[in-house]
Amino acid sequence: MPNASACHCGKEPAIFLHYAQKHLCEEHFIRMFDKRFRKTVSVHKMLRKGDRVAVGLSGGKDSTVLLHSLAELKKDLPFEIVAITIDEGIEGYRARTLGIAKRECEKLGIEQAILRFDTETGKSLDEAMASGKTGKDDDSLSTLPCTHCGVLRRHLLNKGARQARATKLALGHNLDDMAQTVLMNIMRNEPSRLARLNEPMTKSDRFVRRIRPLMLSPERENAIYAMLKGIDIEHVECPYARFAFRGHVRKMLNETEVRYPGTKFKVVNALFSMEEGLRAKFGKNASLRECPSCGEPCSGSMCMFCKRVKAGRL
Amino acid sequence: MEVIIDNRARAIEFSGDVSSLLKSLGLMREEVVVKVNGRLAPDTKILSGKDKVEVIKVVFGG
Repeated sequence: MPNASACHCGKEPAIFLHYAQKHLCEEHFIRMFDKRFRKTVSVHKMLRKGDRVAVGLSGGKDSTVLLHSLAELKKDLPFEIVAITIDEGIEGYRARTLGIAKRECEKLGIEQAILRFDTETGKSLDEAMASGKTGKDDDSLSTLPCTHCGVLRRHLLNKGARQARATKLALGHNLDDMAQTVLMNIMRNEPSRLARLNEPMTKSDRFVRRIRPLMLSPERENAIYAMLKGIDIEHVECPYARFAFRGHVRKMLNETEVRYPGTKFKVVNALFSMEEGLRAKFGKNASLRECPSCGEPCSGSMCMFCKRVKAGRL
Repeated sequence: MEVIIDNRARAIEFSGDVSSLLKSLGLMREEVVVKVNGRLAPDTKILSGKDKVEVIKVVFGG
């Protein structure tokens, strides 16, 4: 009779996966994690031989684990890796993770490009928040730090990936991020955003295709994997995170996961089931124009990045 | 039992498993990693009075 509180190999467990009702020792947890990573990349056709992958590397645990897992995968599949790091300019937070990002790239021999908010937009995030000029006078521009930061970061990651001649942009979004995003878009009644979460509605040569190889890895497991593999991680929270709607959704989702294990997987799997129907519904009228200011594809008269930069410089 | 949370140590009287300990400390198992005597431990692990428990918050915003 197997011991229910041990790993199937008989060793002392390091983790209990509630959603699978399974104990795993350190070694079998790492094996399971690596297998799931490779399966996600393969099932969702994220990589091809010869790809040049730009990893959005903040130096936080998720993107650092992503960098290491891709570097490991590269031993079996010929593709190139470069890292793109965005320095938003958040005092007391970003400097610590920037150091990790730099060190990990050096350790793995990966080329890194750093794009800074202040040099690219005229203001660091701290300066933009202090001045309050993130587009207050324009109703379409929220002044919330996470919204402002998200628009600028997405734009700069795409720009950095394009400058690095990347064919894919790999993001460290984990299962928790994905489940939160699905629920947030439903709560905000923005189903069209769900339709384009995994793939843009309209193709453009200027958009580097995004991939999320950790989208089925729970956030907590990324941290455990990093600890077991000796990957340097900082346990630090962005000082602006308390303003975010995402924080409320995270708490609600974690409470639900504790009570009903497997909820996060179910939310993300529900997205996969709905995706085709959503794309059929919202893809019909999707069209892109060229931003008159920067040339990036956008749906409005000017892209959100340029709108915000212009508002911040007034 | 010695419990370390955010690098701050304190001594507490407790009997039960890691899951019950987290509940009693007002922490959510989805947001933390627990080490018992320096090794990662599942929340099903039964604790003894001599154990040294370290709780590391790993889920953050940002």
